[in-house]
Amino acid sequence: MKLKVFADRGSQPSRAVLILCKANGIEFEEVQIQLAKGEHKSPEYEAINPMKQVPAIDVDGKFRLFESHAILRFLATAFPGIAEHWYPADVFKRAQIDSALDWHHSTIRRGSVGVVLNTTLAPLFGRPLDPQAAAEAEKLLSASLAKIESFWLKGDGPFLLGNSEPSIADLSLVCEIMQLELVDEKLQKRILDPYEKVRKWVEDTKKAIQPHFDEIHAAVFQNKEMIKKALAGAGSGETKTS
Amino acid sequence: MKLKLFVDRLSQPCRAILIFCKLNGIEFEEVTIDFCKRENLSPEYQKINPMQLVPAIEVDGEFKLFESHAILRFLACAFPGVADHWYPADLFERAQIDSVLDWHHSNLRHGTTGFVFNSTVGPLLAGLPPNLEAAAEARKVLLASLPKVESFWLKSDGHFLLGRSQPSIADLILVCEIMQLEVLDEKVRKQILDPYKKIGKWIDDTRNATQPYFDEFHAVLFRAKEKLIKIRSTGSSDETKIK
Repeated sequence: MKLKVFADRGSQPSRAVLILCKANGIEFEEVQIQLAKGEHKSPEYEAINPMKQVPAIDVDGKFRLFESHAILRFLATAFPGIAEHWYPADVFKRAQIDSALDWHHSTIRRGSVGVVLNTTLAPLFGRPLDPQAAAEAEKLLSASLAKIESFWLKGDGPFLLGNSEPSIADLSLVCEIMQLELVDEKLQKRILDPYEKVRKWVEDTKKAIQPHFDEIHAAVFQNKEMIKKALAGAGSGETKTS
Repeated sequence: MKLKLFVDRLSQPCRAILIFCKLNGIEFEEVTIDFCKRENLSPEYQKINPMQLVPAIEVDGEFKLFESHAILRFLACAFPGVADHWYPADLFERAQIDSVLDWHHSNLRHGTTGFVFNSTVGPLLAGLPPNLEAAAEARKVLLASLPKVESFWLKSDGHFLLGRSQPSIADLILVCEIMQLEVLDEKVRKQILDPYKKIGKWIDDTRNATQPYFDEFHAVLFRAKEKLIKIRSTGSSDETKIK
């Protein structure tokens, strides 16, 4: 199967898809869709994904798919040679991973996107920072991290659901948490310091997927520098949430 | 497998699961968790679902699962005799159904639930203060989602989502969600839904394909609708003021 992955490495779900492919030796062509340049709004890209978001995939020039969790599930089951731990065939284990992925949408994802946008990224999209929205998003994010700490990381193994090896749920959620690298260091610490198990799990997930994890996440650190320069140039300082 | 469903029939995803089980002859024990009475917050229920939401299931007194899409996928795969069209074994078809379900979370669900709860169910049924700002935000998301269902997810060929000729778990989930709009002020509901002819037809097709269980499990919603009509006629409600 000839696979194209339409991605922006600055996007958390894009990174999860790219890392799964690299870690499992799935051959693919990476097509960069740069969100900052509005490339996701082009008519050409709208033909690939009418929702105008990344990531999306194209298989053999015929089958198109978007929504990162759907893509991760598809890749894990349709491509040969994917290690079972990413998305086990056992219906009970698989259901628990599905549950974590679904839970993620309205919790970590919503909270993280809200914090990063409203404390840091908004000016780059021509919008004002919104400390109130940031504070609400931080509350949601903190409450969600607390649930990972107390519930999702229960069990013997180092990964979600007590698994001994990472699944697509670990990949998706850790890529999301890595987006916090874009915000002010003090805010990052405030958000993550209370959760020792979460911090250990992020490190364990990174270690389990090297060198691909760091290779794909280089974009986050590049973006961090670019954002600092862009905001300094605009004359705005860092904002604090209340 | 001995299955318990922890549900509130007023909840959209709960109804989807109840209808699915009945249609496929899956035996279960229904345990009501009344959201308006805050039964989801009890310590007993927290042991079933630490997120304190419905639905949740328990299998053989041991395996617990929450998140309605995960539950439907599990039931479709784990129980014998479930027709393939609900969650096809073909990986390409299955992936497209996964895609709608995921899209639904941040779009139709987020919009509908946020709007209905913050403008109507919360203040008029659960005694919570109305949150007009959150309702307005959610309404925007809802109004942006419906055209996507009308023009993209409902292709011209088939009766159901993705142009399919038979319903999948995605049809059940999304239609049960849109049915929640029945509890809104009728003028508001018509204003939102009337522009979408394909959606109207698809709701009817899904209802017809899932009778008598569709009507059976939506009865509680229509009783809530009647109760709300009475409440609205006695006092004033802020629902029509939301922009």
